[in-house]
Amino acid sequence: MVDLELLSPQGDMSKLLGQFAALLILISSLLGLAALGLGDSRMPRVALLISAWGFEHSLIATTMLVVGLFAVLSWDSTFPDRRDVLVLGPLPVRARTLFLAKVAASATALSFTVVALNAFTGLTFPLALAPASTSLPDLILSPVLYRSLAAYWITMVLAGAFIFCCVLGVQGFAAQLLPRRGFLRLSAFLQMAAFGLFLSVYFLQPSLATPKGLMAPENQGLLAWLPSYWFLGLFQELNGSMHAAMVPLAGRAWVGLAVAGFGTAVAYVLSYFRTLRKIAEEPDILPGFRGLNWLPRFGNSLETAVVQFSVRTLLRSRQHRVMLAFYLGIGLAIVIFLLKGGVAREEHFADQANTRLMFSSFVIMCVWVVGTRVVFSMPLALRANWIFRVTQVRGVGEYLAAIRRPLFVLAVAPVWLASAVLFLSIWGWRPAAGHLVVLGLWGMMLAYLSLQGFQKIPFTCSYLPGKSFFHMAFLAAVGLLLGLRKGVELERRALDDPVSYAKMLGILGIAVALARWRAVALGKSEDAIVQFEEVPPPAVLVLGLQRDGVLPNSARGQGSAGRLQ
Amino acid sequence: MLHNISNMLELRNVSKRFTGIVAVDDVSFSARAGEITGYLGPNGSGKSTTMKMITGLMELTSGEILFGGERIQSDLIAYKQRMGYVPEEPHLYAHLSGLEYLVMVGQLRNLPAKSTAERIDGLLRLLSLHGNRHVPISAYSKGMRQKVLLSAAMLHNPDLILLDEPFSGLDVSTALVLRSLIQELAGRGKVVLFSSHELETVERVCSRVVILHHGKIVADDWIERLRTLMALPTLESIFSQLAVEQDTAAISREIADLILG
Repeated sequence: MVDLELLSPQGDMSKLLGQFAALLILISSLLGLAALGLGDSRMPRVALLISAWGFEHSLIATTMLVVGLFAVLSWDSTFPDRRDVLVLGPLPVRARTLFLAKVAASATALSFTVVALNAFTGLTFPLALAPASTSLPDLILSPVLYRSLAAYWITMVLAGAFIFCCVLGVQGFAAQLLPRRGFLRLSAFLQMAAFGLFLSVYFLQPSLATPKGLMAPENQGLLAWLPSYWFLGLFQELNGSMHAAMVPLAGRAWVGLAVAGFGTAVAYVLSYFRTLRKIAEEPDILPGFRGLNWLPRFGNSLETAVVQFSVRTLLRSRQHRVMLAFYLGIGLAIVIFLLKGGVAREEHFADQANTRLMFSSFVIMCVWVVGTRVVFSMPLALRANWIFRVTQVRGVGEYLAAIRRPLFVLAVAPVWLASAVLFLSIWGWRPAAGHLVVLGLWGMMLAYLSLQGFQKIPFTCSYLPGKSFFHMAFLAAVGLLLGLRKGVELERRALDDPVSYAKMLGILGIAVALARWRAVALGKSEDAIVQFEEVPPPAVLVLGLQRDGVLPNSARGQGSAGRLQ
Repeated sequence: MLHNISNMLELRNVSKRFTGIVAVDDVSFSARAGEITGYLGPNGSGKSTTMKMITGLMELTSGEILFGGERIQSDLIAYKQRMGYVPEEPHLYAHLSGLEYLVMVGQLRNLPAKSTAERIDGLLRLLSLHGNRHVPISAYSKGMRQKVLLSAAMLHNPDLILLDEPFSGLDVSTALVLRSLIQELAGRGKVVLFSSHELETVERVCSRVVILHHGKIVADDWIERLRTLMALPTLESIFSQLAVEQDTAAISREIADLILG
């Protein structure tokens, strides 16, 4: 679902940015339409404003989420890296110039994100808050409208800036406090932790945007830790519609902004004046642990080589980990959404299967397998793949068999093991084991299907931009989730009925066997190759159309690739 | 002198054309076991292209390449098992350590694990890489990366050793070791073909040279014979006459004038 052109050196950046902007504008337009339906024209203005708190809070929270995810995804580019130092260092470019250029780039990107996301809501929401009895000319000339517009945009920009500064501040201080190597190791975990934190907070934070909710003593502790509510208060203050419940929140917003802004400024300045020299001396790629580089065997020597290479590449390449984290983040978001209201209300788990939890395990398996498979397509150090080409001393079938293994090791196995620990600890052993067998078969089938047509050693084949079919992939993903839900309900019933369970296992087992057989058969076919270069689609396609059902002479010998005469 | 063709590399009328460009034009020569053949030419003459065709990384437009009397394309797997290659550019997987990289090469070549581990250990020690074997290649100097490439090329005891600019980045002591190593390998019956810009080294190490210019062979003979035939004392002067078109002194004067005003 991610347009991989983001990380492709041949990618069309303007097209990618256009797609990104279009997605944000789409979200904004949907929310903008929803904003128009706010409240009731007969409501007094004060009541209207209070009724809009929930919606306003969701807009602020969404802006903060998108900016937060953007900040995490651009983690590596906001501070100087080795390439900046090595390329620009020998040139007469001041550190201050480098610093200001990075700040300007970050500010531009942040502004672009906030503007795109709020393009429609930035107009419709203030309009929705306008007094309903006002005529159109009066509305256009009304200072209340312009104040609302200004309050809205200032709030959104400041909320986005707050989150952005928090991410940069954490990154900057970690870089200052830790040795460079330690920071490089920790950086990846911080990045993924931030990713998970933003998604979790967004989906799990309670709806407190009512006067009662905001003033309840039991909620004050929670409100102190939820910045989206602080900026809700800030909006009310700027809009001139301050409620008593909002006063402390607005104050916290200003304090938070000051602390985050100051902290980030200090971290940024320090990074340029203290770490620039250190960066040139340190490798940017995550260093391996000395002596702790042992990995087990994964079959014969070729399979072991391919799997060990894949494991090390995924663990040590930040670029690929970020991509995988994106997919996992989507899965996590779905899981949190599913489990948010579900688990607590279900019966306790002793000897009982929980449909939502089962569904979540399938979702995680899906996103992990698909995400890993997508990540395998992105090359690392493409020109270094000559070693695989020069050492190709075995048959293609052996290579294709070896190529299938990393997906099982890096995706299917970890998810299954984690699920095993979870389900065996919270369920009775029968339903847990029953579900784990189904999950394992599902994961294997998904892996074989994902690898159809994949004839590349992971991370070694070139990638052509423009091949991702975002819309089709999205529709397929939605369809898959709906199908999964049905399947989980069937499994839930089958776990209580041994005959149905056996039938279900039989069907799944046959599906896995067929998928495996197909993969092996394709590997043995004459067309099978180990691919190191993505071949672009031909500029001219032969349609192979025949006239009157008669094959042209040239086509009779050449098959479907024959030319018309 | 009868040559044992079981270990002879032969190029016959090999050409390589890219769109509108002839990179290698009807090149024919042979490299024999026990000899060290130097493959020389100015930048852009087609040396690396020829090397890549010999390794099987690039397809020929026309002609054929034989090793041991057999076309390499007839059994590329068997050929690759007998061939070791050091490329011109040290493109390596920088996230792997030197040891991990060499172990991976051994696994890819299906070498027995235990003896390969001993061999790797020995190579790392002899090439002064043992202390840095767990450090990622991204932290290696250019010379260290070159040593990794050399180790990877020799790990499986190949019969044919192709070296494209092998001395690039090496310090003096390692370059001396490599020079002796090349002679040792040739003395033990290997076929060694190496291209280099370091004419002094080529002159000392090689018995025969093939000089390429604009994709065509302009000389293919023993160095001694070339000196006699052309009445020139050094390989550098021979090379300058055959392959260098520019008046180097005039160019350097013009560059100095341009910069210094």
